[in-house]
Amino acid sequence: MKITINNKEFECDDNQTILDVAKENNIDIPTLCYQDGFEPSSVCRICAVEINNKLLPSCSTKVKDGMIVNTESKKVLEARKINTELLMSKHIKTYFIETKEHELCKIARNAGIRQIRFTKAKKIYIIDKGKAIITDNNKCILCGKCIQQCQMQNVNAIDFAYRSYHTKVTPAYENKLDDSVCVNCGQCLLACPVDAIYEKSDIKDVLKALKTKKHVIVQTAPAVRASLGEEFGLPAGTLVTGKMVSSLRKLGFKKIFDTQFGADLTIMEEAAELIERLKENKNLPMITSCCPAWIKYIEHFYPELLNYVSTCKSPHDMFGAVAKSYYKEKYKINKKDLIVVSIMPCTAKKFEIQRKELKKEVDYVLTTRELARLIKIKGIEFNKLKDEEFDAPLGLSSGAGTIFGVTGGVMEAALRTVYETATGKKLEMLEFNQIRGMNDFKEGYIIINNRTVNFAVLNGLHNAKEILEQIKNKKCRYDFIEVMACPGGCIAGGGQPIPTNKEIVEKRMQALYLNDKNKAIRRSHENPAIIQLYEEFLGRPLSKKAEKLLHTSYIKRET
Amino acid sequence: MQILKNSNFEALSKIAGMKPEEIIELIKKSGLTGRGGACFPTGLKLEFTRNSKEEKYVIANADEGEPGTFKDKLILEKNPNNVIEGMIIAGYAIGSTKGYLYLRGEYSYLRNKLQQVINNATKIATKLKIYFDIEIISGAGAYVCGDETAIIESIEGNRGNPRIKPPFPANKGLFNKPTLINNVETLANIPLIILDKNWNNNLRLFSLSGNVARPGVYELELGTSLKELVELGKPENKIKAVYFGCSGGCIPYEDIRLDYEAIKEKGAVLGSCTIIAVDETQDIVDIATNIAKFFEYESCGRCTPCREGTMRILELLQKISLRKAAEKDLELLEELCRVIASTSLCGLGQSSTNHLTTALKYFRNEFTDKLK
Amino acid sequence: MSFRDIDEIIKERKDNLLLPMLEAIQARFGCISEVNAHYLSKKTGIPFSRIYGVITFYEMLYTEPKGKYIIRICNSPSCYLNGSLNIIKFLASLLKIKSGETTKDKKFSLEIVSCIGCCDKAPAMMINNKIYGNLDEKKIKKIISGLK
Repeated sequence: MKITINNKEFECDDNQTILDVAKENNIDIPTLCYQDGFEPSSVCRICAVEINNKLLPSCSTKVKDGMIVNTESKKVLEARKINTELLMSKHIKTYFIETKEHELCKIARNAGIRQIRFTKAKKIYIIDKGKAIITDNNKCILCGKCIQQCQMQNVNAIDFAYRSYHTKVTPAYENKLDDSVCVNCGQCLLACPVDAIYEKSDIKDVLKALKTKKHVIVQTAPAVRASLGEEFGLPAGTLVTGKMVSSLRKLGFKKIFDTQFGADLTIMEEAAELIERLKENKNLPMITSCCPAWIKYIEHFYPELLNYVSTCKSPHDMFGAVAKSYYKEKYKINKKDLIVVSIMPCTAKKFEIQRKELKKEVDYVLTTRELARLIKIKGIEFNKLKDEEFDAPLGLSSGAGTIFGVTGGVMEAALRTVYETATGKKLEMLEFNQIRGMNDFKEGYIIINNRTVNFAVLNGLHNAKEILEQIKNKKCRYDFIEVMACPGGCIAGGGQPIPTNKEIVEKRMQALYLNDKNKAIRRSHENPAIIQLYEEFLGRPLSKKAEKLLHTSYIKRET
Repeated sequence: MQILKNSNFEALSKIAGMKPEEIIELIKKSGLTGRGGACFPTGLKLEFTRNSKEEKYVIANADEGEPGTFKDKLILEKNPNNVIEGMIIAGYAIGSTKGYLYLRGEYSYLRNKLQQVINNATKIATKLKIYFDIEIISGAGAYVCGDETAIIESIEGNRGNPRIKPPFPANKGLFNKPTLINNVETLANIPLIILDKNWNNNLRLFSLSGNVARPGVYELELGTSLKELVELGKPENKIKAVYFGCSGGCIPYEDIRLDYEAIKEKGAVLGSCTIIAVDETQDIVDIATNIAKFFEYESCGRCTPCREGTMRILELLQKISLRKAAEKDLELLEELCRVIASTSLCGLGQSSTNHLTTALKYFRNEFTDKLK
Repeated sequence: MSFRDIDEIIKERKDNLLLPMLEAIQARFGCISEVNAHYLSKKTGIPFSRIYGVITFYEMLYTEPKGKYIIRICNSPSCYLNGSLNIIKFLASLLKIKSGETTKDKKFSLEIVSCIGCCDKAPAMMINNKIYGNLDEKKIKKIISGLK
């Protein structure tokens, strides 16, 4: 069918909304509460357009044959102006440093608003400063996107409370986010159009440490090298490993290491753990433990199933443990002087490193965005940097370590080692295509020594409940399950450059898979630095020393 | 009063021998329209809701909350039989076996009595092989829950936020199933239509209150003169205006026909026939501020124009009352009214400015006199 | 602290409808405390944050106990036109509390509410479930002193 927008005719299908058609044809209708992949809630009313003298929300109004739409009429512009002014007068901007382009300000600018004709709201809410995430209700415009994300994740830590002008987004009974079931995945942060949710910043502490004479070393997660470039104008999916390393060196870190080394280490331990469980047929399915948001989720909602979770620490934490023992001893560094900083795509890691079950292996976590800010603060011109290499020995990694950043990557990396270790044979094909891609639930199987090993990969937490219920009722047919809380995996984490949408996530994903393909060493157990670490220090996977340093336990948390 | 005619469930016996389609035809022919203010043809609504093989629900909207309105209360107190009977007949007509009576929290003192009526009615219906289970759900103090989709949200256990339409409740309502929602007065008329060939569709229940000595519910024909109604209330002072509740707007007191078209021509909405009489000792700006406070308090808070706008309207009116406002504040007020009325998500927001738009139309001097 | 009452309330509602459950809990305990709401969430699977969102949406549901007698005085147009403001002022000074507050002896809570449907008895108020209309200062004094 055909509809007319601003006097031009466009083809469309009957299930499309006016906004769908406008987007397809590059007609810009501003939105605030609209999110791809979610039912439109139609509450901000900014997307209103005029049809037949009436104003209707374009995000939820379905097209009808012959519809005549005007997105720039006097009525539309007046409504847009007033509604934007209403929101601007409610929203209290306090900083200049924003996590992202401020969507409300952009709309105000484009609407030609130069003054707000309503009295400014007073700052009445206390900012909730969590260990990983900070929420500032003074900035909130009640679009509800954060709640939609949290509901999608099946966490439901926050919801609307009170009524009318006093409506507020909050955990139950005004508890702090840290005291709620929030898992710190940061999907709410990525969705917020007005920067009312942002990560707790560790930039100051890291800068301070860098100014001292201490031995500050840094490790970078796989996802960072595939996304950091976006903060400097490079297209999504540009691999900037060399520049990333170079910028970190310029910042003054004594050694630039790679979390992918930690990932390889995790595979060594986790593969051994899985093989053992398969042999004993106990505690199956084994579930991955590298995602701290996932760990917190299961600790809150299914603590009785914690025995199924791998006892392996997450890669950056294993790295920290090795840094503060093996590396420290080998290079004779004073314990008090050694500081480990992780650059992560993740907000939950900021919470993770403060867990009592861990032993301060990592001192600070900076998100990808924070690193970009740090680079800008120091005036380093990122795009002009020459490529540099990681330092040895903890900077060497395999392709298996690289793909940890994407959903299905941990599983694939683990299977490469599990298969070859258990069978003694080489895998013909290292790629497991059935678990690659953006699908939120993927599965497959592999035959190891005549035994069919079924595996599943989940990303985004909304499917987790179903699988956990299956496990609870002893109806789960899988032996090994990977769970990543963020849809798409760590490359879509709460610490990543914004925007992080499906298109961009897919490009970042491709960059990491390509990187794996091009690497000489693609199996964790063939990483010479890893082999050396075991020979010189750990002995073998699951040794007493490995258990002490590289494995952890979990706790039951209240809902 | 026609509305208080109680037939002791005779209508149930009559419809037990009728086909559902026949009942719907009968109601269509009667011309019955919704008495909650929206005036949608009831027969059509029944027909739409019937059009599905899924399980269906009937909801009786007893969340009467429009200020100045107390006619449903009268029916619930004096003729609850008809309401319950109407529910069962509607349920039978659309093929539903479950109904909810959403009773506003402030009327919960009527709950026990209503439950007894439901028990009696269910016994009689079951004997007639009509299976319909009614449950009373108490509201908890929210004007917005008078909106039909807000009632659905409320029953489902959510905050009473109205939903965007389409989809309409007849297609996707309670628990996403086809749902018939009708006002209590509408349902109470159904048994009368079934039994009385001479049922008068032109009668309405006018809730009269305000500056009158004899406030009350008056059953009169549509088209009755406003003056006639107000005189029945025995006003002690000269009346200068009437408000059609908070959401219907106001008109200057005059000899006008009380019917939907005549009132619409004046820029107001007759709605559920609520008349609040205002005498000449009253200040229109004060009343406007009082009504603005009502909407600001009752807004559900979900959409920008209503949540933020109703607060700003109150703010500006208070500024005018304190004689601190200038001409540009009045202009801003009018701009706000236009935007809130045209972009609010639900009927509450959309009608929250009628009182002010009409007050500015007919009593503008009372506002401009207070400007700096 | 026994949750048996809450268990019973949940058992009675096979359909898991939240609003009636909250009303039942409030009828039993006077309010819906954090502890009780949390237990309700655990047992029913309804998210804790949603339960709080629903309680705080409705004017007649409370998270903290109110006075023995909750006075709801109407300030909508019909009552306003009949002098509700003066009634409110009088009550506030009589009880020595502002609207939204509870007396120190926990006997009375004062709330200004929207239309309660008693417009033919304006100005009117409700105390718990009872309606008092055509109010004046004398009547109010008598009503208040009659409540133990």
